[in-house]
Amino acid sequence: MRSAPAGWFRKTLRDWREREVRIVLSALVVAVATVATIALFASQLQHTLVTSASAFMAGDRQLEAENGQPVPQAWRDEANQRGIATARVVEFSTMVYGGGRFQLVSVNAASDEYPLRGQIEMQATPEAPRRQVSAGPPPGEVWINPRLLRLLEIQIGDAIEVGNRALTVTGLLLRQPDGGFAMSALAPRILMHDTDVPSTGVIQDGSRVEYENFFAGEEAALDAFYEWLRPRLSPSHEWASIRDGQTLSDSLRKAERFLLLGGSLAVLLSSVAVAVASRQYALRQRDTVALLKTLGQAGPHIARGYLARLTAWAVCGLIGGILLAIPLSWGLSLLISRLLDQPMAYRMDWLALGPALATALVALFAFAYPPIRRLRHVPAMRVLRSQPGETGQGALRDGLVALIAVFGLVWLYARELELVLALLGGLAALLGVLAVMGWCLMMALRRVSGGGNAWRLALVGLYRHRRASLAQMSVFAMTLMLAAILVLVRSSLLDDWQSQLPEDTPNHFLINIAPDAVEDVRDFLTERDVSLGRLYPMVRGRLTEINGQPVRQAVSKDEEVNALNRELNLTWMEALSDNNAIVAGDWFDAGQRRGVSIEAELAERLGVDVGDRLGFTIGSETIAEPVKSIRTVQWDSMRPNFYMVFPPEGALTDLPATWITSFYLDPSRKSVLNDFTASFPTVSVLELDHIIDRIRDIVGQVTQAIEAILALVLAAALVVMAAVVSATLQDRQREGALLRTLGAHQRLLTRSTMMEFALLGGLAGLLGVMAAEVAVWALQYRMFEGAFRWHWPVLIAFPVLSAVVLSLFGRWQLRPVLQVSPMLLLRRLE
Amino acid sequence: MATTHPILEVRQLTHRVNPGNESLTILRDIELAIETGESAAIVGRSGSGKTTLLGLMAGLDTPTEGAVSLDGEVISQMDEDDRARMRAHRVGFVFQSFQLLPSLTALENVMLPLELASHPSPAHQARELLERVGLGERLQHTPRQLSGGEQQRVAIARAFAAQPRILFADEPTGNLDNDTGQAVSDLLMALNREQGTTLVMVTHDEQLAERCQRRFSIEAGRLSEPALAAGMEVDE
Ligand SMILES: Nc1ncnc2c1ncn2[C@@H]1O[C@H](COP(=O)(O)OP(=O)(O)OP(=O)(O)O)[C@@H](O)[C@H]1O
Ligand SMILES: [Mg+2]
Repeated sequence: MRSAPAGWFRKTLRDWREREVRIVLSALVVAVATVATIALFASQLQHTLVTSASAFMAGDRQLEAENGQPVPQAWRDEANQRGIATARVVEFSTMVYGGGRFQLVSVNAASDEYPLRGQIEMQATPEAPRRQVSAGPPPGEVWINPRLLRLLEIQIGDAIEVGNRALTVTGLLLRQPDGGFAMSALAPRILMHDTDVPSTGVIQDGSRVEYENFFAGEEAALDAFYEWLRPRLSPSHEWASIRDGQTLSDSLRKAERFLLLGGSLAVLLSSVAVAVASRQYALRQRDTVALLKTLGQAGPHIARGYLARLTAWAVCGLIGGILLAIPLSWGLSLLISRLLDQPMAYRMDWLALGPALATALVALFAFAYPPIRRLRHVPAMRVLRSQPGETGQGALRDGLVALIAVFGLVWLYARELELVLALLGGLAALLGVLAVMGWCLMMALRRVSGGGNAWRLALVGLYRHRRASLAQMSVFAMTLMLAAILVLVRSSLLDDWQSQLPEDTPNHFLINIAPDAVEDVRDFLTERDVSLGRLYPMVRGRLTEINGQPVRQAVSKDEEVNALNRELNLTWMEALSDNNAIVAGDWFDAGQRRGVSIEAELAERLGVDVGDRLGFTIGSETIAEPVKSIRTVQWDSMRPNFYMVFPPEGALTDLPATWITSFYLDPSRKSVLNDFTASFPTVSVLELDHIIDRIRDIVGQVTQAIEAILALVLAAALVVMAAVVSATLQDRQREGALLRTLGAHQRLLTRSTMMEFALLGGLAGLLGVMAAEVAVWALQYRMFEGAFRWHWPVLIAFPVLSAVVLSLFGRWQLRPVLQVSPMLLLRRLE
Repeated sequence: MATTHPILEVRQLTHRVNPGNESLTILRDIELAIETGESAAIVGRSGSGKTTLLGLMAGLDTPTEGAVSLDGEVISQMDEDDRARMRAHRVGFVFQSFQLLPSLTALENVMLPLELASHPSPAHQARELLERVGLGERLQHTPRQLSGGEQQRVAIARAFAAQPRILFADEPTGNLDNDTGQAVSDLLMALNREQGTTLVMVTHDEQLAERCQRRFSIEAGRLSEPALAAGMEVDE
């Protein structure tokens, strides 16, 4: 045996001439290509999302200090030493003086580096175009919220006084990357340079100041830095990475999971293809092995030969697959590059090729190797006469090994036990149903006796090939199930997204409405035909105690619950809002005054259950209420959402509250806002329309990517089906030829074959789709949080499509048999 | 001797093939007529054109020139579908290499032509025939589990299954040892007598050829019925 690469290559080339080898290799190439494409693309998407999410928070990580003390310079130095860029923003509220008036503003004083990610949106004058800039105003200047122009009645170029310091207004601040969703800034915001802060003299010991620090750099460096930092942090420090934040909507996380699911299915499908083809190869190799044995080669020697061959295939499959995957994933990443303000270069993530490598190895060595390994046990006697019952030997054990291997692989790949279990459950259900159905079918078919009629001949054919038919049906059903799962998940994902942000999604929030202004605000907007959403009172307070214990002690240290670090928006309401749902306990009874309803995820993280007492500190007051119910909240619904809800007339009612609401305003009617701010200068208007547009855009792009992945997986499914069909190609052609000599005319043969395959495909499609519904139900329930329903279009389309595709496969298979005279066929058969 | 019209008649048959542009004449001016119920053997060296002639007579292909009529119908002018129908109902085949379908059991192999001919109870008829050829115990075995002789007996059962008017056999004993060959040819001749089927076979086997009523020899594509025809007259 030659082991030099050249020798291997020659051998592989020679192997290539065998049909089964071609199928094994093609399956392998498709497997590696699909998995690698998805992995590369997922990594690119991940990178894009992270970058885009980072842009939403002005850096990759944030460290916020709420204790009024700046973060030690040593920490930033440490970060800089580790190659991490840093930026600072000091936040405080103060009165500014300008145009002869005073106004409370929220000041952001930023260092030169801010923002590290994303851009600031500003305008030089109210009439100037909006601009994206990557730094705030220089020292001595200030950018202000446009409302301040009216509130103070000043012009661009005028000066305002912040404490002792006069700053020139040189621009209007429209949006800060990290200010997108924040509702806490009720007073109009201004942005200045942080070197001007000391000269204002505003910050004294004891004033309420928040120090925001931003970090950006390589993931690994950031993680290492956090390890270093963690022991030094105090409870008043809040470390935030993109993952914990609600910065990007859940939709994108679902998209990531979809990719994982797609990748896992591709792994499964390709393994099936490799398994089918290699089993066929092993069967065909038996004669060769028997001959080699007769010629005096020993079993182990033969086994080594095949092992070397498999290894060569693995190398070829890997190289071929990766060569295919790189342009494919590049193409896909072009699709999503528009997601970002600045286009992002294609990044080759070599680590992402790991799963592809694992797939190739597992597919070959867990699926292809076992039947090939058993080849060395083929008796030399086989040269003279085949031994009965050889074919089924060890199939069960092979199957088990393969099953364990592939699920291990999927688990490794997706790291989702639920995903693996759902797939496994779906497959088990499928196989169970298949066994029963197959048996019934065969019993029924047994009674059909043949005839010149194509239908009956098709049925007889099904029965006659019952072994192959059942095997093929299982593989088809499995393949179709996997493909159907992806189709179903995709459509429910898209439906979800569509319904989540309908046309009239509220795109403006009104915050800080004084209780006595509520009626006026409502009247003002109703007069102008703007339909206002529900109005909610809002009280800001901290959760401080659980069952009488301070929260810090009640909640274990490793759980980082951001909600504990900041003031929560508390509200009261009579009826549950329609995007909320009770998952435990009951909603308040009419007239009930005690109790609180808590958001489900927070409750889980705090370990809070119905009946526990929660203590809140609101200003100088403290209250304690028992948990009456736990609610889920649709955070990305763009409506006011609350962690804590109290009953009307409950504990909050007497506390000072402001009101909040949201509404949809058509972009063409923006002028309403100007009238509004003129009439209600103290009410904050939050414009979310550009964020909603952006989310829609992102969802659109991700949808395209998902369609592309779906297409890839469907292509893999087709390859599997082709592999399975061509496994019996020779037998079928031989049979076709013989049937023709025996007097079957071409039309009969064509029709009955097509019908046979259509039946097979239709049944497999039906079974596969039904199993997919079961699996999707399980997946949906746990992973994608949707409700179960039958998907009639898919239920009908899949069986029909698979029947059509398979009957075409059958027709294509027969083609060589139909074209030539039976005489030539016989010569070929000899 | 001709009591009825011939069941098989070949007139001026010439057959050429074009392997890679150059025309090759395999058969030349063949004339032949066989009566119903007769048995005929065609002998000749390897490559002399026996299989080709058999295929043309059975309607598996059409000759370049000349006519073949089978059971009164000129099959050389029929289209493939009509010839297929003809084969399904009136022609049986036995091949040198058996041509059983490996994935089917013996029973299913024999049922094939019955199913094609819309026989009302193919399983029943097939079982009877397999019992007749002595394989009543091996119905569910696949060809791989049968010996060569047994496989050929299955093939014979299949050939007679649809009760053809004429049976073509291409070296039916060619792959078998002497004794087995003998048994298989016994079976062929017996069934030929029992069912009144006309038998046309190609063989190397002198003994088998001698058991046929008529013997033809083919050489370089030309057919003759030499001494043997004379022998027949001596018999009469
Ligand atoms: N389609 C074809 N193309 C080319 N050559 C052909 C074709 N069909 C037959 N021949 C040639 O015609 C000749 C006769 O073939 P045929 O198979 O009829 O011989 P045979 O007498 O049956 O021989 P054997 O006893 O070996 O079976 C051979 O030389 C063969 O190679
Ligand atoms: Mg021949």
